[in-house]
Amino acid sequence: MTMTRDWLLSERPASRRQARIGQIYRTWLAFRGNGLALFGACIVLALVVVAILAPWLAPHDPLIGDLNHTRLLPPLTEGYWLGTDEQGRDILSRLLHGARITLAVVALVAVIATPVGLLVGTTAGYFGGWVDTVLMRITDIVLAFPKLILALAFVAALGPGIENAIIAISITAWPPYARLARAETLTIRNSDFIAATKLQGASSARIIWKHVVPLCLSSVIVRVTLDMAGIILTAAGLGFLGLGAQPPQPEWGAMIAGGRNFLVDYWWVATMPGLAIFTVSLGFNLLGDGLRDVLDPRGRK
Amino acid sequence: MLHSRFLASVALSALMLGTLPAASFAETPADTLIQAWSIDDIISLDPAEIFEFTASEIAGNSYETLIGYDPENVSDIFGKAAESWTVSEDGKTISFTMREGRTFASGNPITAEDAVFSLVRAVKLDKSPAFIIGQLGMTPDNVEANIVQTGPMTFDFKMDKAYAPTLVLYCLTATVASVVDKKLVMEHEANGDYGYDWLKTNYAGSGPFTIKDWRPNEAVILERNAAYSGDAPPMARVIYRHIPETATQRLLLEKGDIDIARNLTAVDIKALEADPEVKIESGVKGSLYYLGLNQKNQYLAKPEVREAMKYLIDYTTIADTIMAGKVKVHQGFLPEGFLGAYDETPFALDIEKAKALLAEAGLAEGFKVTMDTRNTPEITAMAQAMQQTMAQAGIELELIPGDGKQTLTKYRARTHDIYIGRWGPDFQDPHTNASTFAYNIDNSDEASAKPLAWRNAWDIPELSASTDAAMLEPDAAKRAEMYLAAQKEVLATGPFVIYAQEIEVFGERKNVEGVIIGPSFNDNNFAHVTK
Repeated sequence: MTMTRDWLLSERPASRRQARIGQIYRTWLAFRGNGLALFGACIVLALVVVAILAPWLAPHDPLIGDLNHTRLLPPLTEGYWLGTDEQGRDILSRLLHGARITLAVVALVAVIATPVGLLVGTTAGYFGGWVDTVLMRITDIVLAFPKLILALAFVAALGPGIENAIIAISITAWPPYARLARAETLTIRNSDFIAATKLQGASSARIIWKHVVPLCLSSVIVRVTLDMAGIILTAAGLGFLGLGAQPPQPEWGAMIAGGRNFLVDYWWVATMPGLAIFTVSLGFNLLGDGLRDVLDPRGRK
Repeated sequence: MLHSRFLASVALSALMLGTLPAASFAETPADTLIQAWSIDDIISLDPAEIFEFTASEIAGNSYETLIGYDPENVSDIFGKAAESWTVSEDGKTISFTMREGRTFASGNPITAEDAVFSLVRAVKLDKSPAFIIGQLGMTPDNVEANIVQTGPMTFDFKMDKAYAPTLVLYCLTATVASVVDKKLVMEHEANGDYGYDWLKTNYAGSGPFTIKDWRPNEAVILERNAAYSGDAPPMARVIYRHIPETATQRLLLEKGDIDIARNLTAVDIKALEADPEVKIESGVKGSLYYLGLNQKNQYLAKPEVREAMKYLIDYTTIADTIMAGKVKVHQGFLPEGFLGAYDETPFALDIEKAKALLAEAGLAEGFKVTMDTRNTPEITAMAQAMQQTMAQAGIELELIPGDGKQTLTKYRARTHDIYIGRWGPDFQDPHTNASTFAYNIDNSDEASAKPLAWRNAWDIPELSASTDAAMLEPDAAKRAEMYLAAQKEVLATGPFVIYAQEIEVFGERKNVEGVIIGPSFNDNNFAHVTK
């Protein structure tokens, strides 16, 4: 069996697998046509590559600088293309290593918050009644707090540190996914295929996991991708306030906080990590927009 | 009212100036000195309670203490509110005579009654600085019997031991020994509080300026005291504006919206040096920057490790880069300018030596230790620099940031490993620092006295005894020798890595003259400022 274009785009797939792969291929074709989304995907891909290869890409040690000789060098200095900070450390090397922290935060928050949100939302939507009431009121309560403030409160209680920042952000990030998943679930829970599955004797857990969750997943993924930028900004905000990653870790938000004191005379110390945050946030937003266009059937004209 | 309108007009003109070309600048009124400073540490204006940097300076300019000293030569002691004094044969009683014919800003005459009242009041109220007088044997119970008026202008000061006379006199130069207006204060007394509630936000002194207004986190306004006995200050008003951001202070100074900026960073200082409209003045302060190594930590308790830590700080680099212009390298526990201060700096960065010492201690592989770090930019930057040099000897230093209160609370409960701190002497006598760096008579967790040596669990019965002895030594030269020996001992074996002494920096407009930057904050003086 050769994976030709015709096989992929066949109107009559011979197997489930062919149908699924064909669907993915179609999605990719639609996505490919969106230049901005592709650009965003490239940025995100670049972030991943940089994070993996940071120790080999970075020209200098990100943690150790030379106060006497390389302090606050301007950008485009030979060997220090983005300049150095107040501790004499190479900003480029710190940005590259900082990509690891940023990626770790984003990935871990997605891994923690998405399943929780999905579970709460689908359960509430599927069962309805008092289960729905209890779960959604909890969701409403969490949603009632401003995100950053709630994260601040949690970090203050748990103690500063990147792990606690991740936990705090996750705690504040799941409610929108729960709402979304619940809304999706409500639209499908009375469908015929769910009723058919029920009649075949499937348990509620099986129905939720095998039939409801997959149908909610695409809109949740879109939402998560769009939220990535927000997560990065929240993490950077916590770092900026001294509650996220701790020195000497090259977290981007903390780097901006460090450079803030030198903004008037040494603009690059705060600007470079700011540009990094900007670029990556933009990348995730473009990618999210593109994904929404291709994954959300209602958006298609 | 008048002042709020005045401030509003200053603010308004500052606003309007923002729209003018950059070349012009706002001029502050000719008879008003405006300073930008972070004044959020003020909690009280009562001299019996004042123990903070900003409030001390305000008290120094608005109250008069019994005794004063020349800020440029601290050993030159003279009477301020007191005219003269005699020490009794046994050295336990000092008799003071007050200056005649002086009045408070209220118009009430200054008498021995006011002086006795002020000292008794400070001990009875028992606020943070009360120990400065309390350590001379005064307790709230016995103080009325020990500080007694003997005539309209004379009173006796009786102590439990024959303390070195210079120590006693220096204690009486502290803001806690300011003379307050008994009649005025007692008019506002409520429930036997010695007028404390009222004086917290009001003024009853006799200094060159009166405190006109204090609006927390906004401004403090001092006004010329018409009844001041000395030369009338050229400035009719001195205004402190609360401006916490250093970059803002710098911009205001560059534009001429303020006369003096007080919280400039090393970077600001460097940039302002090139500005022809601005000049930089500085004065060596008594505050020391140091690390406290908790002896409860198994690694730090080893003498070799303590010594190694002293080789792992890049003293000169920190003083020349991160803190350029704001500190000088200093290693003895008495700051430069004090009697018996040890000004040599035997330690310098030496990674190899530190490694050898660690190997001797059986820690060639290094170890992991935490440091509680106040999250201000300067302390954090210095801590990171130390983190780098210590890493080279295998010591993994983990910084635990917190605000001043968090880190200090942990330090006071001695649950830290390393604490990076700043220590300011309470008065100008060497005992102030000796009693904290080289004194710890009870190393148990329940101890009542908690000097820095206790906070770092350093058990030193012998050194404490010699600190006690130095406190009683009447001969100044011998006393200096004793303190020198104590400093060398602490430097060699102590759990303190003292690495710098503070230099206070003022960024001033070119036309400002006559600012005195003294060794402690209550010595910063604006009574002779012209512009």
